[in-house]
Amino acid sequence: MGDMTRVTIDFDTSHLIFPTLIAIILGLLGLAIVLRDHARLAEAGVHWHRTWQHMDKPRFLGVLGLTLLYFTMMVPVGEIWPNTGMGFLLCSIPYVMAAGLLFMHARAPRQVLPLLIVALVGPTFVWWLFTYPLFLTLP
Amino acid sequence: MFEFISPLFVSLVLGGTLVGIIFGAIPGMTATMAVAVCLPLTYSLGLENGLALLLGLYVGGISGGLVPAILLGIPGTPSSITTTFDGYPMAQRGEGEKALRIGIVASLVGGLISLLVLDLFAPTLADFAIKFSYVEKFLIILFALTVMAALSSDMLLGIFSGVLGIFISLIGTYDISDGGNGELRLVPPGTEYWLESGFSLLPVLIGLFGLAAILEQAEIGVPRGHSASEVKVGKHSRFSFGVFRGQGVNLVRSSLIGTFIGILPGVGGSAASIISYTNAKTFSKTPERFGKGEPGGIIASESGNNGLTGGALVPLLSLGIPGDSTTALLIGAFTLQGVQVGPLFIGNNPGTWDAMIFAMLIANIAMFAMMYFAIRYFAMVVTIPKHILFPVILMMCVIGAYTINYGIMFDVWTLLIFGVLGWLFTKLRLEVAPFIIGFILGPSAEIYFVKSLESFGDVTIFFTKSWIAVVLWLLIVGSVAGAVLMSKKKQRIAEEPV
Repeated sequence: MGDMTRVTIDFDTSHLIFPTLIAIILGLLGLAIVLRDHARLAEAGVHWHRTWQHMDKPRFLGVLGLTLLYFTMMVPVGEIWPNTGMGFLLCSIPYVMAAGLLFMHARAPRQVLPLLIVALVGPTFVWWLFTYPLFLTLP
Repeated sequence: MFEFISPLFVSLVLGGTLVGIIFGAIPGMTATMAVAVCLPLTYSLGLENGLALLLGLYVGGISGGLVPAILLGIPGTPSSITTTFDGYPMAQRGEGEKALRIGIVASLVGGLISLLVLDLFAPTLADFAIKFSYVEKFLIILFALTVMAALSSDMLLGIFSGVLGIFISLIGTYDISDGGNGELRLVPPGTEYWLESGFSLLPVLIGLFGLAAILEQAEIGVPRGHSASEVKVGKHSRFSFGVFRGQGVNLVRSSLIGTFIGILPGVGGSAASIISYTNAKTFSKTPERFGKGEPGGIIASESGNNGLTGGALVPLLSLGIPGDSTTALLIGAFTLQGVQVGPLFIGNNPGTWDAMIFAMLIANIAMFAMMYFAIRYFAMVVTIPKHILFPVILMMCVIGAYTINYGIMFDVWTLLIFGVLGWLFTKLRLEVAPFIIGFILGPSAEIYFVKSLESFGDVTIFFTKSWIAVVLWLLIVGSVAGAVLMSKKKQRIAEEPV
């Protein structure tokens, strides 16, 4: 018994011990879930189909697409004026505006105007706050 | 002793409480999101001032949830779910203002009782925990994870979520500064440059609690805001403290239940309010009135969820284990300032400890004063259009993720990855709270586990090291057994013919 419980840790491979153990536990738990919920898992296709059907696709996919574009553009735009945070500022203004328009239900000028003001003032204030008082360089 | 008190400190608590109430009062936005979004602002504030802001946000955020719960029947935060049961019927019969004030007073009492427990209990627990070796520390984490999983809506999925969090936290280098060998693991080829240090905690948190919440709202089409005409505070029945007559036991019991639930790791405010409400109904002489506008229901729910605030800080400050998802974010504030929370924290940082207690006290009083006297204005917060708020929050999430490690763009992508993952979690019925606690505690669990084996060379050490280890194992087994029994009972009830 004493020998069976004894463990020697090899320093060179010590980084793998805990992740391996956790991976095994995770696998076993995954297997237990599959065994218990096999009926529900078999109907996963229906569940996802229903989710897709009920989803507000323009808003959900739109905000994901806009966010992807926003993140992708921030660095290249910022590199045009390095260390000024312009990438953040010039990308955030259209992003806030576009996301706001996307989330809006009625786009009358009276409702768009406050959004336009927030889209201009919000990113500019944040850019100023982080660039000057806080001295943190934005992209 | 109170060197930390300055006009800035007090202003930050007051400002944090105000913003927290606003976040809490807007359905779909939570105290956790408020803390996540404002975390980067603490960067240059210093630890005490930063915590002043975040604790104000925490107390305000939990309390603000009662506004839409009562006026619209929609819980502003998950912890206000049971407030809707009696608050909304009261509002419908023209007693909105009275219901709101009952909730505000109950929130104050719940917050203050939990603060007292925090002040008395956390240092004692920390003093005790100082004696723990790696073995006991590992078992404490194991206990935290089992309790959290046991109290999840689905134990198996709860455990899976927690273990998944640990697994993802292990991605990257086994850090030499923690006694590791500096080797990479679990890093896909080609991503070594970005994942050398794994995923940063704060972008993960901001993604899971900020972006994911907005994606959920986008999925359902970002519901229209409520018009001012829908918000009826009501004038038919004035509030008086007489309504609390005969509710003393309910108030104290619910506050203590909330505090106790808060001490349990990873169990959120919704559990605190539900258990408090259920108890209040069970012990009431008039249980039939609950759900129809009974003030006792609001008192139980709101004192219970605010009782959570101090309780959740007990395991964080004495053991380094967050009590709920919002206190998990507070770890981020400590990390930003290079301070580690754990058993040594209170003893080594008495000034910060005093500052936290003082900030919580001011936050609770400020929450009461602001909401009690200006409730009609806060009621209007629910009309703020989400199409303006959400894009600004998204931008703040980006700022938070980017600045957290002095400007690393990969952290912004981490935010997106975990935002989408957080949304997927809700679809797959996985639980975010166990995941995040697993993610936070994973690296410590690894160190304690491996170092225990390196030191003692025998796996039996986890059972034989000390009487504390034995007690912890009994607690672990007890929590799992309790959860299994509860789950079977639930299943039996569900299968019983109606």
